[in-house]
This record gives sequence, structure tokens and C-alpha cells, in this order.
Amino acid sequence: MKNAGWTSRIMEYILTFMVIITLNFMLPRMMPGDPFLHLSAEGGEEVWAFTAEQRQYFLEYYGLDRPLPEQYVRYVTGLVQGDMGMSYYYKEDVSSIIMRRLPWTLMIVSGATFLSLFLGIVLGSFSAFNRESWKDKSLYLTMIVFSEIPAFLLGIVLLIIFAAGMGLFPLAGAMSHFANYTGWEQIKDVLHHAALPIVTLAMARAGGIYLLVRNTFTTVMGKDYIRTARAKGLSKGRIRYYHALRNALLPLVTRIALQMGAMVGGAVLVENVFAYPGLGRLMREAVFVRDYPLLQGIFLVLAFGVLGANLLADLLYKVLDPRTRGQE
Amino acid sequence: MFLKSSFSCKAAVLLMVIFLILSLLVGCNGDTEGDATSNEAALENGEVETPKEPVIVILEGGDAGFPSPFGHLPRMRGTVMKYVFDSLLEPDEDQCIPWLAEKWEISEDGKTHDITIREGVKWHDGEKMTANDVVFSFQYYLEHPPVFIGEVITQSGYIQEIEAVNDYQVKIVTSEPNSTFYCEAGMLRIIPEHIWKDVDDPYGFTDEGSVIGCGPFILTDYSKEHGTYRYEAFEDYWGPKQRVDVIEMVPVSDEILAFEGGDISIARITTDLLGRFENNEEFFILESPALAGTMISFNMNKNDLFKKKEFRQAFTYSIDKEDIIQKIQRGAAKPGSPGILPIDHQWYNSNLQKYDYNPEKALELLKEAGVEGSLSFELLVSEGAEVRVGELLKEQLAKVNIDLTVVAVDNQSRDARANEGNYEIAILSMGAWGLDADYLRTRYYSELEEGAGGSATGILGSDQGYVNPEVDRLCEDQLKETDREKRKQIIYNLQEVLAEDCPEIPLYNNYYIYVFRPDEYDGWTFMFDHAVMTHAKLSFLEK
Repeated sequence: MKNAGWTSRIMEYILTFMVIITLNFMLPRMMPGDPFLHLSAEGGEEVWAFTAEQRQYFLEYYGLDRPLPEQYVRYVTGLVQGDMGMSYYYKEDVSSIIMRRLPWTLMIVSGATFLSLFLGIVLGSFSAFNRESWKDKSLYLTMIVFSEIPAFLLGIVLLIIFAAGMGLFPLAGAMSHFANYTGWEQIKDVLHHAALPIVTLAMARAGGIYLLVRNTFTTVMGKDYIRTARAKGLSKGRIRYYHALRNALLPLVTRIALQMGAMVGGAVLVENVFAYPGLGRLMREAVFVRDYPLLQGIFLVLAFGVLGANLLADLLYKVLDPRTRGQE
Repeated sequence: MFLKSSFSCKAAVLLMVIFLILSLLVGCNGDTEGDATSNEAALENGEVETPKEPVIVILEGGDAGFPSPFGHLPRMRGTVMKYVFDSLLEPDEDQCIPWLAEKWEISEDGKTHDITIREGVKWHDGEKMTANDVVFSFQYYLEHPPVFIGEVITQSGYIQEIEAVNDYQVKIVTSEPNSTFYCEAGMLRIIPEHIWKDVDDPYGFTDEGSVIGCGPFILTDYSKEHGTYRYEAFEDYWGPKQRVDVIEMVPVSDEILAFEGGDISIARITTDLLGRFENNEEFFILESPALAGTMISFNMNKNDLFKKKEFRQAFTYSIDKEDIIQKIQRGAAKPGSPGILPIDHQWYNSNLQKYDYNPEKALELLKEAGVEGSLSFELLVSEGAEVRVGELLKEQLAKVNIDLTVVAVDNQSRDARANEGNYEIAILSMGAWGLDADYLRTRYYSELEEGAGGSATGILGSDQGYVNPEVDRLCEDQLKETDREKRKQIIYNLQEVLAEDCPEIPLYNNYYIYVFRPDEYDGWTFMFDHAVMTHAKLSFLEK
């Protein structure tokens, strides 16, 4: 029984993975244009256009003149061997390009996840304990408003106020360049640059967590065992943060995993606002130059990340909630 | 009771959060100071013999690739490696001027080039640069093409002989005269033989040696993922003294904010922002030549009417260019010339047929072309300004009973459709209008494909069905003519024919408006063929 459940779970993941790989392959190729055809350039920049002969040469060189099924088989075979291909534009291994960018995205995504969790839990429980008071209502309104503002817009506002206006934060980039920081100085510098992107992303995402915490807390506080605990004469702090919080946080685990997709999507936009050197910024460049292998690589890594978060949530849930363990 | 105490408890938590954020901010403030001092410390390692402050210019960065002739990306025209590598010629505001080549003589028949190489030029590693390096560079590039190389150079069998006559004399013999060879060959970066002779895979070669050139700046730092570059002046540079000690390129989120915050030294602004910087002694505003542009292209294979000169002329008369410039470019553009070469092109002919906005004249011409009643066409446009240009054109053309349906797609889709010839009329915006006038040939010469008897490819690169024997003849003549003045005359004639014929209609050529702080640095200059000041090597050298 237990094994059967796991097998179907694993099959589910494998199937999802196959679908993702296929989409990865198809989507960039469904976009109009090809990697060696540029007449126009972005933002007044000037590019050299390839001649028809050069274009043909490159299409043949990279096998893009072959039928799609053949290209697909090549792509999947490469992937199985751990080869993500060569970027057409950067003329470098896709995996090494991505590896240089990934840590930056990981940092702001995980930072924003923690910050949004923290804000969501603190504010959500505050609202739940003050349900229906003016404090709850005004906080509720504020959080709803913030969660509806797109991350990039919020980012621009923060950039203008805190970086350009008040000069508290740098305007762009992930670190101070050409300054030889070491150790603690360097960590501080990196955090200083990451602060605005993280706060932007966290603010845009905290609303969802806040609502969930607020609701589950309210539900939990009405449960019998809480009344029992109160009857036992336990202190308010113990009831709230030991008995109630533990149970109220369970749905959060799933929520965070489900939110990973939106978080990564938000990171793509936020990185572009702050010229932050993560995968999101790389993706924008890759889309513009129709760099198929690079796009495939980025999508794959991001999809992997989101799927991984889901898997982790599945596992974590079993650990946290003993009831689900018995069921399978 | 319950509510009250919980509030105070939560309030404590909130206060904690605020405190945490505040302490973060304070920490950050201290950080910026640390930033400044360590920057200074880093600079003291540079060559500061006189007590004068080093001049640092900071530019907008972004990855433009590894700064070698093989590693850079198509972005920024290879500027990131041009600071490091010199070439035989260098573009100034008027033309290609002698650079590593002191003298360049072309024989009567236009086939033999005798080039005298400058003496006393040193590579960044201290070795001497000689004619052998020049010969080596050409030979190496023919085997391993760099990111960009003039088509004429790589044409098989074009360069028949290249040799070093002595240490400072190079002789190149070509199969036939070609007027573009001088500048194209002159722009090739010279690389040191003693380093590259053992390199088999130049594209993957990124060792220290790969960025040793004989240019005015030495690369001291490059980060691919951050898109940052740092250069220092090369002390033993042969040429004009550097006015800038350090060039840095950093990532920028918003150009104007970064400029105002002092993060970068120069920024490109729009007309709407002029008021912010005008009449202020702190800033200096400079307009570039108008060498980017937007034009209309007809696919003559789609509709025989497009093949009629009268129709195209009528179309030209129906367009109010000034109106488009004011509404779309907010005045920051010059009207396109019917002779294609823009007003700011070095060989622009101002004495051409005029097409002032005149709907009545257009209606007359349409009648001559045999048009009765109204017409309707599909106008293919791309994103942004082009959509608005399209809508304005629709409005203007409606007055001569031509109904345009504006179809807006993204850049890549438009390029793809243009390439397949899948459009009737298209608008295209692009840069590089200042290049050698030979681009008229690559667009309007109808026999580009040998033996195919094809027709011109126009700006969009696909077969557009335009054929004019006179244009063909002039295109051929200018290519063979190696005397600069004579060639210029042919190009002038060519513009006259094109202006009469209107194969494509340049709407406007826009210029860039730059703002900088003259107190910090004011050496900015343009290249005759390119309007981006930060790409001009001469912007950083003494005049």
C-alpha cells in the first residue's frame, strides 16, 4: 500500500518532467524568428545583420535546418548525458552560463521566501488575534493592496524612493564593482545590493501568506483543543505559539511550495528592474536573441526548482502532519 | 483584555522588525562610505605620479562578451575590445584616419596597397609591434574569422598576396579594385603574433594573453555575469595621450537615475527630459549626428503597383515627415532624405528632388499611375514607436484615399516575415545609417546573386523586386572607384537616381541627446559613421 502510493507519486513526477522537457523544447521554437535573423535591435543599439549565406551556415552548423523530431531526439539525448548544449549567442556551455547566474537568483528567491514568511506569519497572526478590530481591517486592506501590485512596479517605486531619492541603496547590480572587499565587508555589500530586490519580491508575495495565516489561525483558535488548553489554564503565549501556531502553519508548507512558481516568475521581473545578474535577466537576453539552448536550459532549471520545492513540500508535510503518514 | 495585551505583545514584535530594518539601513550607510575609501585606495595603485586626481569615466555596462576580437558579442560593436586593440585606421569625426598605419598608398589600378606601419608601437606586454604582426593578423583572421570582418576581405581569392616587405612595410595585392577594402581592412584589430601563433581555438582562448593588444587601454577586470569591465590607461601607448586614466563599465537599471546619482558619467536622454538639464552649468548637452532611422519599404513582388515610380512618388508626397518627427520623436530627428543616405551621412547629397508634403500632387501622380478610386494595403510594423508611426501614416495616407491596415508584431516576427517576403509595406527602424555608402549597393543592386538575375534586397534583406539598370551601373562604378573624390561623385549621382525613384522612403533619422558633467570629463566625440560617443576611442584620447 505504502509502496504503491510512492510509485504513483514518482510516476507523476516523471510524467510532469517529460511534459516540461517537451514544452521547453517546443516553446522557444514556436516563437517567431530565429537566432540568426536580426534586422532590428533593442533600445537604439546597433547590431550587425547576418547575410543570407552566414545565416544558412549557422542554421546548418547548429542543426536547426533538420526536422524538429530529429532536433528533439538530439536535445533529449544530450540532456540524458547531462549536456544542455551550447549557447548560440554567448558561444559557451549553457550549464556554465547558468551556474554563474543561478546563485544570485537562489539568493533573492530564498531571501524573499523567508522574509515573506516572516512578515506573513507575524502580521497574519496579529490580524487573527485582533480579528474585526480596526487594526485587523486596516492591515488587511494594506496587505491586499500590496499583494495586487505587480512585483516589477513595486520594484520601480522602491528603486525611485529608496535608491534614487534617498540614496540608501544602490541603483543596480549585485555588488560593488572593482572594490576589493573580503569577508564580512563583502557579505554586507552583497546584502546591501540584494536588499531592495528581496524586499520587493517579499512584499509582493507576503499578502498570500498573510491571508492564509490569518484564516487558519482564526479557524484553529476556535478548535476544541484550544478551548481545552485554555481551560487547563495555560498561558496565552503557550496556547498561541505552541498549540495554535504549530497547527496553523501546516497549510503554509504547501502554500510555499505552490507559491514557488509565482516567486520565480516575480524574480524574473524584479531582476530586470534592478539589473540583477540572475537567471531572470539572463532569460530576457536569451529571449531577445532567440538563444534556444540557453532558453531551454533556463526553463529547465527553473522548472526543476519549482518541482523540487513541491516534492520537498510533499515530504515535509508527511513529517509535520502525522495524520498523512497513516493514510498511505 | 485579551485584545489589549495581545496588541502590546505584537507591538513589541513589530517594533523589533522596524528596529531590524533600521539597523540594516544604518549598516548600509556606513557601507557606502567604505565603498568610497576603498575605491580611492584601489586607484592609488595606478600610475599617479603627479598629485592630480585620476580621471575616471564610468559607462553603462552589461555583458558585451569577452573583450578579444573573437570573444565579444554583437552588442556595442565590439567596443569592449576596441579600447584594448588598435587597428590600422581609426574613425574620427570625418573619415578613417591613419592610426597604426602611418601611410597607405593604393596603386593606379587599385589592386596594390603599400602600407607603412608606425614605428615604436608596443604591445601591452612590452614587445615591439611590427609589420609581421599585421601580416599575421590578416592571415589568422582568414583562417579563423573574428566576430566581424568585412565581407570583401573574406571573399575567396580576394587577397592574393600579403607580405611584410620589411619591419614596417606591408604589401597587399588584391584580385580587383574595391573601394570598401581600405576602411574594412583598416578596421581589423591587429593581434600580437608572439601570443596568437600557438592558439588553435581563438574562440575559447581567454588567458591573460588574449587581451594583450597595443591599444590605449589595458583590461584590468571583466565579469561576465555582472557585465562589468575596467580598463586602465596603457603608459607606453604610442599614440595621443589618454585623457582618461580609468574606464569602468557597470550595470545600470535606469540610465537617468544612474546619471543623476553619479553612478555613470554620461547618459542618453529624451527630449522630454531636456528641461531637467538645460540652463544648468553643471551639465552639458550634446546632440549626436542623426544616424539611426526609420523607413518604409515596399515589397514589389506582392503588388505590381509598387513597381510604378509614380505610385512610390505619390506615397512619398502623401507623408508629412515633420508631423511624424514632432509627434513620435518629439523633435529629436531630421527628415529622411529621398536619396536614402541621411542628412548627417558624410556623403549626403543635399541637392535632390524635394518631396514636401503635398496630397494634391500625390493624387495627380496616383492618377498617372492608373489608380482609380481607393486603395488598401497592409502595413507591417514592429513594437514601440513604429506602431505610432504606422497609425500616423494611416491618418496621412487616408487623405489620398489609401487605406492602411496597421499590423503590429514583435521585432522578431517582423524580421521573420520580412525575411520571407511575407508583407506588402513595412516599416523598419534600425541603426548604422552612417556606414560606408556601399550599403546602397547591398540594398538596391539587382544582381547581387550571381547568375540569378535577381532583384534588389532592400533594407529588409529579402528579394523586394526592385530593378533599375542605372542604379546597378552606379553601384558597380562606385565599388571599383578607389579615388575618394571620384567615388563621392558617383555616390552623389546614385542618390539623385534613388531620390527620383523612391524604392524605399526614409521617414526620419533620429539623433541621440547626451548629457554629461563637463567638470568631470568633457572629451566626448563622435565617429563619422557611428553616433554613440562612448564607442569612440577618440573620446578618451587627447585631440
